[in-house]
Amino acid sequence: MMQCIFLLSDSGEVMLEKQLTGHRVDRSICAWFWEQSIAQGDSFKFLCRVADVLSDYLGGLNEDLIKDNFVIVYELLDEMIDNGFPLTTEPNILREMIAPPNIVSKMLSVVTGTSSNVSNTLPVATASCVPWRKMDPKNTSNEVYVDLVEEMDAIISRDGTLVKCEIYGEVQVNSHLSGLPDLTLSFANASILNDVRFHPCVRLRPWESQQILSFVPPDGQFKLMSYRVKKLKNIPIYVKPQLSSDSGMCRISVLVGIKNDPRKPIDSITVEFQLPPCVLSANLTPNHGTVNILASKVLMFFDHTCSWSIGRLPKDKAPSLSGTLVLAAGLERLPVFPTFQVGFRVMGIALSGLQMDKLDFKNLPSRPYKGFRGLTRAGEYQVRS
Amino acid sequence: MFTQFGATAESLSKASTMVFRIGTDAHLYDDPDDVNIAPLLDSKFDSEKCEALKRLLALIAQGFDVSNFFPQVVKNVASQSIEVKKLVYLYLLHYAEKRPNEALLSINYFQKDLGDTNPLVRAWALRTMAGIRLHVIAPLVLVAVSKCARDPSVYVRKCAANALPKVHDLRLEENTAAIEELVGFLLNDNSPGVIGAAAAAFASVCPTNLSLIGRNYRRLCETLPDVEEWGQIVLIGILLRYAIARHGLVKESIMLSSRDLENIASENGASDTYQKGNEDSNAYFGLKESNADLTNGVCKSEVVDIVSRSYLEGPDKYLSKHRCADVLSSELEGLHFTSAKDNEDIKILLLCTSPLLWSHNSAVVLAAAGVHWIMAPKEDIQKIVKPLLFLMRSSNSSKYVVLCNIQVFSKAVPSLFAPHFEDFFMSPSDSYQVKALKLEILSTIATESSISSIFQEFQDYVKDPDRKFAADTVAAIGLCAQQFPKVANTCLEGLLALASHATDGEAIVLLQAIYSIKAIIGKDPSSNEKVIVHLIRSLESIRVPAARGMIIWMVGEYSDIGNVIPKVLPVVLKYLARCFTVEEVETKLQILNACGKVLLHSKEEELWAYRKVLSYMLDLARCDLNYDIRDRARFIKELLSCYIGSSDTEEGKAQQESRDVSRVLAGRIFGGQIKAPSSEQFSARFYLPGSLSHVVLHAAPGYEPLPRPCSLNFEDPSINSNIVEGAKRPGDGATQSESYTDDPDSVSGSLNEESTSDYSYADSIGGSDGTGGSNVSSSLSEVDVHKEPLIHLSEVGYPNANPDGGSHVDNQYSGSNNLGELISTRSLESWLDENPNSGHNLSEPSSIRKSSARISIGHIHGRVEPKICALLDPANGNGLSVDYAFSSELSSLSPLLVCLQVSFKNCSTEPMMNLQLVEDNKRQDSSDHASAMTESSSHGDVPSLVPMEEIANLGPSETINIMLQVRFRHHLLPLKLVLWCNGKTYPVKLRPDIGYFVRPLPMDIGVFSAKEAQLPGMFEYTRRCIFTDHIGELKKGDKPGTNDQFLVICECLAVKVLSNANFFLVSVDMPVSANLDDASGLRLRFSGELLSNSVPCLVTLVLEGTCFEPLNILVKVNCEETVFGLNLLNRIVNLLAEPARG
Repeated sequence: MMQCIFLLSDSGEVMLEKQLTGHRVDRSICAWFWEQSIAQGDSFKFLCRVADVLSDYLGGLNEDLIKDNFVIVYELLDEMIDNGFPLTTEPNILREMIAPPNIVSKMLSVVTGTSSNVSNTLPVATASCVPWRKMDPKNTSNEVYVDLVEEMDAIISRDGTLVKCEIYGEVQVNSHLSGLPDLTLSFANASILNDVRFHPCVRLRPWESQQILSFVPPDGQFKLMSYRVKKLKNIPIYVKPQLSSDSGMCRISVLVGIKNDPRKPIDSITVEFQLPPCVLSANLTPNHGTVNILASKVLMFFDHTCSWSIGRLPKDKAPSLSGTLVLAAGLERLPVFPTFQVGFRVMGIALSGLQMDKLDFKNLPSRPYKGFRGLTRAGEYQVRS
Repeated sequence: MFTQFGATAESLSKASTMVFRIGTDAHLYDDPDDVNIAPLLDSKFDSEKCEALKRLLALIAQGFDVSNFFPQVVKNVASQSIEVKKLVYLYLLHYAEKRPNEALLSINYFQKDLGDTNPLVRAWALRTMAGIRLHVIAPLVLVAVSKCARDPSVYVRKCAANALPKVHDLRLEENTAAIEELVGFLLNDNSPGVIGAAAAAFASVCPTNLSLIGRNYRRLCETLPDVEEWGQIVLIGILLRYAIARHGLVKESIMLSSRDLENIASENGASDTYQKGNEDSNAYFGLKESNADLTNGVCKSEVVDIVSRSYLEGPDKYLSKHRCADVLSSELEGLHFTSAKDNEDIKILLLCTSPLLWSHNSAVVLAAAGVHWIMAPKEDIQKIVKPLLFLMRSSNSSKYVVLCNIQVFSKAVPSLFAPHFEDFFMSPSDSYQVKALKLEILSTIATESSISSIFQEFQDYVKDPDRKFAADTVAAIGLCAQQFPKVANTCLEGLLALASHATDGEAIVLLQAIYSIKAIIGKDPSSNEKVIVHLIRSLESIRVPAARGMIIWMVGEYSDIGNVIPKVLPVVLKYLARCFTVEEVETKLQILNACGKVLLHSKEEELWAYRKVLSYMLDLARCDLNYDIRDRARFIKELLSCYIGSSDTEEGKAQQESRDVSRVLAGRIFGGQIKAPSSEQFSARFYLPGSLSHVVLHAAPGYEPLPRPCSLNFEDPSINSNIVEGAKRPGDGATQSESYTDDPDSVSGSLNEESTSDYSYADSIGGSDGTGGSNVSSSLSEVDVHKEPLIHLSEVGYPNANPDGGSHVDNQYSGSNNLGELISTRSLESWLDENPNSGHNLSEPSSIRKSSARISIGHIHGRVEPKICALLDPANGNGLSVDYAFSSELSSLSPLLVCLQVSFKNCSTEPMMNLQLVEDNKRQDSSDHASAMTESSSHGDVPSLVPMEEIANLGPSETINIMLQVRFRHHLLPLKLVLWCNGKTYPVKLRPDIGYFVRPLPMDIGVFSAKEAQLPGMFEYTRRCIFTDHIGELKKGDKPGTNDQFLVICECLAVKVLSNANFFLVSVDMPVSANLDDASGLRLRFSGELLSNSVPCLVTLVLEGTCFEPLNILVKVNCEETVFGLNLLNRIVNLLAEPARG
């Protein structure tokens, strides 16, 4: 049960207030929350959903976008929550009730001066047993794409051993099918999945018995399933940081290279680490890529983040970063060691090894076009120094 | 725009955002009031209205008060444009409470929209109407909701379910029963969407009325997977509560694992075995210990025990009686158990919640996990582990929530999470709170096999840039080392290295390291002598006072251990003596203590040297600036006088005895065994998994522990909800937050008590009891009967046919003709339903009854006990409890004022100062405008609250009663006040009772009849209800006297009415009939006049039925004030129909 929703701007100023129940909450409470920055419970989960829907509608979520579309935001909030309890959160239904802003409606409003983004009729799906699907959508394209998007989480300890490596993956489906199709998707090696979570459209019984995903898909892009594969042994790239302190200076060198070749190109490689507060200045030079040192203020502390973007690994040499850090006066050695966060992307492969077996259709007039893809990127991939 | 083409990249991007913003509402947000809004609202074009409304919305969003546009906006509610409607609704909902009178103007349009063919329009109308939250329209909303609950559209039904909590929020007692009935109806819906919303309504309207669930339990379980995710969360909680209240806890579950299993096995409803267990609580605890040993760390039975009790009783209640174990065990043994294997209801609950563990909504997963945690057999709990761990890979905040829950689970059953320790390794994106929780969980679930990997991790964490986290890691290392003696040595080495390398800036890490070392050494001091020596050596370099203090404490504590320490002691003591003066206070205290201990343990040959050092230090300490140190010095000197001064009194044998005493004393004080601080978890609070309270660790508003197991004891759940409610109430009535639901208890309780005492009564016409029936028919009553305005009843529905009635409504609500119309329509509706009956009823007595007797009941005022309502709950007011009761006294200041008896009670142990009730000023200002419109000018100067004298002091458990005079702005709208106490303010709400907006108007039966005849037709309102209170009274009295029965009934009725309303009892007419049990025709008349305008108001109750059966009562109100009369009628009917609870 929620009593009110406030949308705050980046500076903590209230942009929008919506009272939900008779127990009014003064907007001055925001100031307190701004300092505490805490949130809990199911309500929080709902707020996340609100944020998702809003950014879906507005194509992002920032101060300007909310101000530009505050009427839509109000209308959406009103539709999503009633008396503190969620009413309609299914994006497909919302889209039919309140039209998202788009170029056409904007142009229309400029030209004619009138536009209504509120639908005159109640979406039929509210009454259906598959509320996530628009009733009888007509699609000219008859196609469905299934993507395996995986994120690799790994911890590599100080001595270079792999402490933990696991994959968090999502099965993302983009479906443009007409009518009320019934799809079944099966995996060749479902047994490697550790934990799973499903979109509400997935029927749970077939999964329980045969590990088959049987579902009536929503129209458009959605997350069919998320999964986790634990205890992996192979990481695609290695990062070897070395720090040695000596009389107020710290020499640093970082080496990056391929460890287990995924046989697909690895790109968007980045290495990031935070300079400890006791570092006064840093002089870092890479032999490949660029280095940026960014200052960001988190609460009261300044954080200096050093970010080295490498991109693709060059063929001829192993990229390395070296340089010196000047420590604060009185410090002989660096007392703390930063953690290096690594980012990368491998197109065309799911590193967990999960393989889709087949995708079957029922209830469709013609065979649609099917597409499969894999993608792996780094999640919380950290190397300790 | 076009001039910017070909500009730089920066201005291009600016231009593109400009283009992007075209057509959006940006300009409206940025300058909402750059045009005059008022004329736009009156425009005849929808687009202009839209723009104006959007501007208003922008102003609301930015926090401006634009309620002054209210009248103009409300007009637009009639618009046909959906968008205008939506925008008006948004505006209306924001300000309706502030501008109640104007909001009423819109009601008519909502009514119209409710009949629209478009379900969206119906749903919006209902949502907005319910959202307006005005007491006056509550009956209308309720009718609308019950209509919409049967709507063909799922969406509208869903909105109907959502509207119920809004109506319930108004706290109108007369609606409670109807609302609960609707909740039950909607729970029966066949659409999962509606069920979800109905579950939410149930949870906020009547969470304890579990019998409603009983009827549909199986079906609800089966639809659970199809319900919307948000509904699932609520429904899971409700089903869990029902299952526990109905069947009790599951004996195979973790909740009961700490209890003696054999006892449970032999227990089969009979409680003798448990009684035995209670008598010998030692044996009981002994059994428990052995049980824990048997399970061998599978679950920590003590923790489980506390957890399960906290779930059932709420931690506050549980902790408050923590000390008295007897109470506890007896409470515990009263519980009943069931088995998950045999019980179908529980099986189905577990079966239907287990697929929800795969839900993509974390809150659903958490709720489902909670059910399995509490209800599933121990061996099946494993199921919840992986889903819970998977939840952690989401945002930081949900991670924190999940970890809070895992923390409790892992404390109770470490083995559950032990194999998954890797999941709790830190990731750099974790916030400090998350890291701290993970550390705690890691040190809880560590096992022999995992400890080495965990330590590897810990070593990395110690070097983390977040030093607070590093310090926590050090503490966790200490905890683990104590748990696993094998690794203690490695830990000590690491910690020592850390302590010696720690720099000055690292005070917390250093302190924590020394603390951990100290704790580890405490386990086995003798084998860790080297560590102590090492620490002593490093004293020179450690400068943190608290850390020094701890090392010095170790010097004193372990001064007699091993070979090396005694050798270095003299040097150390001299060192300490040298630097004594420059130490911090806490270190100085430790130095003094340590020296004392050393002296106690020292052998003869060293005694002299130590004694010298100590006397030197005591001398220094006696001149110290800090009085604590001076005190300590004096204390030690006295205590150890036998050691210090022994050179002088060595030979004095006379003092030998006293020296022995002080020697023993000193030994006890300095050498006493240090008890390990009792583990922290015993003071920890446990709340239900997944609840907000669990995260914030205090009972959040609305938190309720699980119901008492098997409190719902009935065989067929569908039979009778009333019985169930009665049976359930004693169990959890205390936790009910609604003050008014409890109140009937107190009122009817007192009624019952006093009815046993001898009441005296006098017959006005004839003699004493038993003969009343012989006093035959006065002519007046005959006339009265014949004058019964039967015909007028059929005219009720046409209020505007009578110009007088219409104009009256107009006065009350500036031009709100609609309201009068609506409310009259309502009365028509309600009347139409009952028309055949009431007509019949009224004609019947007149035809059958030939004669009647009139009795008067004297001294009834002695039994009248006004209902007491809570103004401030002691839980919310720091122990201050404020109750109020409406008083029948009349104010001498103004006829508009209502008198209240307010009693302030201090439930805390500390006195309270400066108590005062004052008006809520903000409220006052904003509504001045509104009130000026409704009140005639002559009453405008009457304040809402006659200033109350301040109570200067209210001692503990003292009660002060004060008479308060207040003016309610409306007979249904609460008055907001502010209660000052100890300089703090508490906002409170006085809820008006319509029964006290009248004052008694004494009159005789003739005048009454005449007045009644003047108020026919639309000024007369009737309703029926069932009255049952008298049955209990009659049974209690158990006197077979003939007229006694009638008297008891009359008194019951009269007392009940007079306890709730300020009326004058005009007469009681009794039928004289052949059948002694037939109470039909009993007639009670009450009269009063409205406080505000002295309009008379007459109430007549006519009974029908036999004495020992529930009586059918026809309530009739005659009053010129339509709205008031209807509301009064509702109030009376509800109070009569409400059964007396005792």
